[in-house]
Formats: sequence, C-alpha cells, structure tokens
Amino acid sequence: MTSSPNTVLRLALLVFAALIVQISGFERILVLGGQLDLVALVVAAIALSGGSVPGALTGFSAGLLLDLALGQNLGVSSLVLTIVGYGVGRYAELRDPGHGLIPIPVAVVATAGYGLGIAVVSFMLEIGASVSALVFRDMLLTMLFNAIVALPVFALVRRLLRSALLVDPRARRRRAPVRSGPIGLRGLGL
Amino acid sequence: MYDKKVVRRRRAVLGALVGLSLILLTAYFGSPTGGIGGGLHAIQRGAQETLAPIESGATHAFKPFSDLAGWTGDVLDAKGENGRLKDEVARLREGLARAQTDQREAEQLRELVGLPLRAGFPVEVDRLTARVIARSPTVWYSAVQIDAGTADGVRVDQPVIAGAGLVGKVTSATTETATVTLITDASSAVSAEVMPDGAHGVVKPEVGKPNDLLLDFIEKGGEVTIGATVVTSGVSSSKGLGSLFPRGIPIGKVTRSEREELELYQRVHLAPFADLRRLDIVQVLRSKPAAERAQVLSP
Repeated sequence: MTSSPNTVLRLALLVFAALIVQISGFERILVLGGQLDLVALVVAAIALSGGSVPGALTGFSAGLLLDLALGQNLGVSSLVLTIVGYGVGRYAELRDPGHGLIPIPVAVVATAGYGLGIAVVSFMLEIGASVSALVFRDMLLTMLFNAIVALPVFALVRRLLRSALLVDPRARRRRAPVRSGPIGLRGLGL
Repeated sequence: MYDKKVVRRRRAVLGALVGLSLILLTAYFGSPTGGIGGGLHAIQRGAQETLAPIESGATHAFKPFSDLAGWTGDVLDAKGENGRLKDEVARLREGLARAQTDQREAEQLRELVGLPLRAGFPVEVDRLTARVIARSPTVWYSAVQIDAGTADGVRVDQPVIAGAGLVGKVTSATTETATVTLITDASSAVSAEVMPDGAHGVVKPEVGKPNDLLLDFIEKGGEVTIGATVVTSGVSSSKGLGSLFPRGIPIGKVTRSEREELELYQRVHLAPFADLRRLDIVQVLRSKPAAERAQVLSP
C-alpha cells in the first residue's frame, strides 16, 4: 500500500466513520442480544488489503480513538486492535489470499481475536466481578453478524483503497488468459 | 526471500505500537489529576467534548433504525411479558392495600413519638434529563456518554437513573458531556436493601449478563422473598458512611436466591428495572434530598 497523504486521509475518514457508526448507531441495535462490531471488521478489512504495517497502524489508531471517545482505559483497545490488524495483515502477506469468500473467515477470526483479547486484558487489569458464560454467546453472535456483513464491508474498504493498493488480489484473479506463445503453438488451442 | 530491511521495519512498527499501547495503559492508571495520567485524562476529556456533537448527530440519524430493532424485539417479548405483568399487577394490588394500611399506622405512630418525616427519593431531588449519545462496544466496559456536562451542573459521582430505576453514576464530565459507568460495569458495587424484608447487601454485576445482577453479602439466615424490590440503602457500610446513591432508588426485583453450603452469605439474583442495554434517555440526580444530606454530613 502506498502511503500518500490521500491514502492516509482516506484511512482516517474510514476509521472515524466506522467508529461513530459503531458507538452511536450499532450499539443500540441488538439482535438476540448480540450486535455487529464494525470497528474490528474495518481494521481487518484494511489489514487484508494493505498488509501488516497499515493493519497495525490502523488498529492502533482505531483503538486509541475508541478509548478516547468512550472514556475507557487508554491503551486497551489500541493494544488488541494493533495485534489483530498486524495478524490479519501478515496472513495476507504470507498466504496472498485471492478467494472471493476469504473475508468471511478473516472477519470471524478477527472478531474472535478482538473479543478474546479485550477479555484477557480486562482480566489482567481490574475485573473484580464474576463472569457469565453468556459473554461467549454474545461473542459468537458478534462473530456471526460480522461474518454476514463481511463481504460488502471488505468490498467497500477495498474499493475505497483501490488507488493506494500496490496489488489488488481481485484484479490479479481476473487476469486475462495469455493469448501469445511460441509461434508453433498459436491457434492450436493448447 | 524476504528483504531484511522490510522485516526489520515491520517488526519495529509492531514493537513501537505495542510498546506505546502499554505505556498508555500504565500511565492512564496514574493520578487522574496530575502527572502523565492527568494529562491523558485531560486529552480524553477534550476528545470527548470534540466528538460529542458528531455522536449526538449520529444518534439522531440512527434513531429510526434502533427504534425499529427495538420494536421488533419488543413485539417478540410482548406475549410472555403480558402474562408476567398480569401476575405482577395482581400481586402489587395486594401489596398496595397492605402498604396503605401500614402507612396509615406509621403516620399515627410517628405523630405519637414526634419523629420528623424523612425525605427520600425521589421527592426533593434535582434531576437533569439527558440523552445517551454513545456507548462502549464491549461487555467489559459498561459505560455510556450523555449529552450533558459540567455546564449543566453534572458532577463526578452523581447518581444516574432511568425511568424505571438506577442506571449508574457519573465517572467523568466535560463541559458538554459526561461518562456514566453503569451498574453492570465490572467495577460497580452498590449498597442495597431488600424491601420489605430489610436485608442489606451489595449489588454487583455478572459480566455478560446485563439482565441479571447479584445481591451479595446477605446473611444466610435472612429471608429474601422472590419478587421483592431491591432499592439503594443510602449507606455504604455497616459503619453508616454515606453512599453516593440516595436511599430508596429502585434497582431491581429479586428473581432467585442461592444458598451454598460452604458459603457464609447467600447470593440473591435480581432483574434490574432499567433496560441497561437500550438506554436512550437518563436522568442525573444533581443533589441529594435535604434530610439525607444532613445525615451524611453529621458525625
């Protein structure tokens, strides 16, 4: 991913919009007690398209903004989302996934990683109350909802960042068939 | 083959960001008024104030969608709730008749011994209505942002209620906004009393169960009636120290009680009156009742 001012501005606007929509909109829309987590999804989408460094930087910024906006302990969300963004980005760099459905498992794993990460850090910090097993039910519901909306969200993020991407996996997948070759084999349909 | 320079750069970025997060995490736990911790809290308050108008606008924009989702859920729950409410109305009618008789008797007895009438919630409390503009996306931090701040008289530690009962307390405030930590937050503990049984305990949350609070530290021998109302007790310990919450704010209704053999206390479960996952409008109690204030201040 190129790091032009235009790209940075787009990323910042994307993360900011996702955060506002999440904390002022989706937080009130509960289905079966669960809800969508757009912030983790957008971080994963940017990391999958841009790689580990943009993923980690986006995760850190999104987490910091989340903690600042909600008066939470600073550093908790940024620590977890940095690792989620880096992990998804490294997966994209190592495996170079081109399959059209790859956003679904990536969204599920990123959401699970974010939920578990926050739980672990919270336990290490100051949780004095007992914890219900329903926490895992809510986490599973969030993973399910994020999986459902993963394809359009990842497509939207990729579309917004297309000009900054060095390699677009979808474009590579749609590469035109080779029509040239050794002179003797042309036109034989081999 | 990977370029060593690229690998080093990638690792350096990750290390720097993780390190920075850990530094923020450590510094934030410092003093909220001075030093680095104070600076971070000030930055956070500034950010909240800046974001408040945007959050408020987004809340209004999303209201139709959240109302639709809420309406769908309400319709699904309505049938079961209807039967439950009919039973409750019958029980409350019976209780009301008993309470009216008791009240008449109490008034007569008070006149006999010359006791002053004690002011309690919600008669003399100055309330400020505010709208919820943002809330945390994880169950580990149960906090909401409201669109009222110090300019409206909101101060840290003021209790917050919704129409039906206690919601939480103000934990930080800027000029235009305030953060309300809910009673479902892992750090919350509210001294409470079961009415009319009189048993005292501490209401604590169970993370992940916003509709099931725990009333802990109730003596095993104490009788707790299922369906009894739990209210704030107004004292934070047996020494009679004043609580942040005035006496008598309804918290919830007892749903069941657990008496473990090896435990010293029984654990009582209660369903909160306020729907803590779908808060739109709340009220901040800006002052305590006069009589209660006098009691807290006097030695």
